Amino acid sequence: MIRRRRRLSCRQVGRSLQEFLDGEIDDDQRITRLREHLEACRDCGLEAETYRSLQAAIRRQVPPITSPELDRLRDFGARLAAGEIDADQ
Amino acid sequence: MDPVSDQERQQAFELYVLPEVDVLYRVGLSITRNPADAEDLVQDTLLRAYRAIDRFDGRHPRAWLLTILRNAQLNRVRRRRPELLADPDETMPKVADTATDGGSAETPVMERQFETAVEQAFVELGERFREVVEMVDLNGLSYQETADALGVPVGTVMSRLHRARRKMRKRLEAQGIDTPHFVPREA
Repeated sequence: MIRRRRRLSCRQVGRSLQEFLDGEIDDDQRITRLREHLEACRDCGLEAETYRSLQAAIRRQVPPITSPELDRLRDFGARLAAGEIDADQ
Repeated sequence: MDPVSDQERQQAFELYVLPEVDVLYRVGLSITRNPADAEDLVQDTLLRAYRAIDRFDGRHPRAWLLTILRNAQLNRVRRRRPELLADPDETMPKVADTATDGGSAETPVMERQFETAVEQAFVELGERFREVVEMVDLNGLSYQETADALGVPVGTVMSRLHRARRKMRKRLEAQGIDTPHFVPREA
């Protein structure tokens, strides 16, 4: 027997949209329903695209991950793991 | 006295802690707004993690480390309060510098305009809003990990983050900036 799923309303999608885009929803059925709605609904699809663009633009502001501080920390961690540093000092 | 051998401790540290050093440093930078302070904070966090690793159950190492980092930061603030109160004005040029360096000659004008407007809207967010956006969008933390790092409930992270993004969007709309929908998705 096939059970017809109720479509999500734009309001329901709007409430979950950011969580969905952040990968914070782990209910597979809900993910599918959200995806279906975003593909079918122009307004919600554009809304999602706007948030994706915003997120991508923010990510591009990330400073380079290579820095002397980070290199020293990686080295410090490796030396701790190798037992070369007395952690109780 | 200690049932855990040095070798076990070192192996656990290598397995659970070393892969998280980059994330810890990024989070440290978001919290302290200063590379030298972030380095001190993360070094302190690594030492604390090393000492405590025999009490760690192996589940969710990042969340565990972020909690240690937050506690280490609270101690530092208590010790050196004046220097460690982040001054938002001081952080602004840093964000602006890194963003303007990123634009290449081929970047379409509309996209560059959008990026500049986003950067400005980001800077104008209040500190509390900006830090959750940084944790999730820049540092790649989950809502729960952000809550652990900041010591606030997950619901607070969600409401601040969602409000922050809506504020930024409104700011862009008010300036008449269109979203370039050709922005490639992150791999």
